[in-house]
Amino acid sequence: MIDLTVIREIAPSASVAGDAVIGPFCVIGPHATVGPGSVLRRRVCLLGHATVGSGNVIEEGCVLGAEPQDLKYGGGPTLLIIGHRNRLGPRVTVHIGTESGGCLTRVGNDNVLMDGCHVAHDCYIEDHARLGRNVLLAGHVLVQTGAVMCDLAGAHHFTTVGRYARVGPRTPVRRDVPPFTDFYSQDHERIPPAVRGVHEAGISAASLPAAEEMELRKALKELFDDESALQTKIEQLVSMGVEGEALALCEFCQRSLQGVYGRYRELFRGQPTPEAQKFMPPQEQATIRRQAP
Amino acid sequence: MPEISRKAVVEKTAQLADEVRVGPFAYIGPEARIGPGCVIDAGATVVGRTSLGAKCHVFPFAVIGADAGQTGDGECLIGQANSIREHVTICAGAETPTRIGDDNLIMIGCQIGRGAVIGNHCILTNCTQIEGLARIDDYVGTSAFTFVAAGAHVGSYTYIAGYAGVETNVPPYAMVQGFPARVRGVNSNKLRRCGFGDEDIRALKEAFRDLFNGDAEGPDARALRRLEADGSLNPHVRRVVEALGDKERSPSHGNSRLGGRTGEDPRR
Repeated sequence: MIDLTVIREIAPSASVAGDAVIGPFCVIGPHATVGPGSVLRRRVCLLGHATVGSGNVIEEGCVLGAEPQDLKYGGGPTLLIIGHRNRLGPRVTVHIGTESGGCLTRVGNDNVLMDGCHVAHDCYIEDHARLGRNVLLAGHVLVQTGAVMCDLAGAHHFTTVGRYARVGPRTPVRRDVPPFTDFYSQDHERIPPAVRGVHEAGISAASLPAAEEMELRKALKELFDDESALQTKIEQLVSMGVEGEALALCEFCQRSLQGVYGRYRELFRGQPTPEAQKFMPPQEQATIRRQAP
Repeated sequence: MPEISRKAVVEKTAQLADEVRVGPFAYIGPEARIGPGCVIDAGATVVGRTSLGAKCHVFPFAVIGADAGQTGDGECLIGQANSIREHVTICAGAETPTRIGDDNLIMIGCQIGRGAVIGNHCILTNCTQIEGLARIDDYVGTSAFTFVAAGAHVGSYTYIAGYAGVETNVPPYAMVQGFPARVRGVNSNKLRRCGFGDEDIRALKEAFRDLFNGDAEGPDARALRRLEADGSLNPHVRRVVEALGDKERSPSHGNSRLGGRTGEDPRR
């Protein structure tokens, strides 16, 4: 039996919960935190200011909290926070935030990130999202609750994947994907990426009340069934007094139209996003204000 | 003095310059040479006849200089100040060395084949696949999931859009997209950032509009002949025309793998 301390490198100042499992060849940096019940299988690297919550399973070869691949990153102590009960497949990489983007990358709770996924700086993944193999998220991307991205999908900087939406396999996301829609491209983009239907599994996963679901379906049909101008259709729906998820869908599409190239979050280029302000731990707020340009 | 983790494996004959840092569980092979100020992170591997210039940063689990199971010992020459990110693999070249210039950023999961030649100041985004003997010139940018076929030559300042597959040669200053990749315009943002004047960019745009219309594989032959005959051509447009006119390099003549090009860069 080999002594585990020899084949692991855990910095003395790292905070590792007593019942966390740290496998062989793991490297835990001096500023990292691992919550109770989390399992780091083998060869997992936790670098930088990475915080892993409780009950996560992190597979072989993951690198969490490495410095961003952003040439503007100034080397500051920006954060990565991973919530609870997430499953990260082999070779997943998640980077810390950048100073100009709000200093925080966050993965929420109950998410599944399959092999080789990459979550770049200043990204936010909410809860119950599923990312297939080798899904790449560029910087500042927001993946909302329950969204599904199939294998080899890629998201452009500053895009948003809406609640319970689906992005098809090998599909580039270059503008926001509205909630509850099925967004895909086929045949090397000869069928270009676009909203091409309703994500039925998403609607059932959201388990909405029957009336709200019907209104949402009507709104989806209204908005995406023909090619006419989205703006007028949104205004029509809002003036009809839609509520709940249907209204949220209208507001989402309205925000995307306000943004640049259909990407709402482009409006936050060079400044902290609302999510950064919402999710930044209070004790870190002061540091972040100091670093903000 | 190099700063080597007690848990790293560094072979006795490996040459490590001053101020090299080696993380735990990294492996440095017997014929590797690591330049001053390099950082080899946890779990990274540098093997074969590989030399790394000054101030390179190799991130966790990158593998540099492994041969692709072909012949045995290959060579891999890497310049200064390159950032080689997590899970990148750079294969060693067997007949000709794999060469990488200076100041490149090679992002997560990129794979660079045997004998490929990459210039300076390139940014290869995640999961870019560069096959063996391909040539990438200076200031080239690629987006995610791009693929450059064996022996293809990508000219300088070119940008390859996401998911594109480059199977033939690409002229300089171009923006290419699609599978198989086609020239869609001029990479004007990058040119502006690199200090090109409006005059040059306008001339390039006009030339590209004539040369690449539609989805044809090669440039428009008549436009090419006209530009070739033009004595007072903008020097940058001249470079494009020369790249297209060179039979060995022209997109209409396939990639240079068929011409038996070796991947040797004459400038080095």
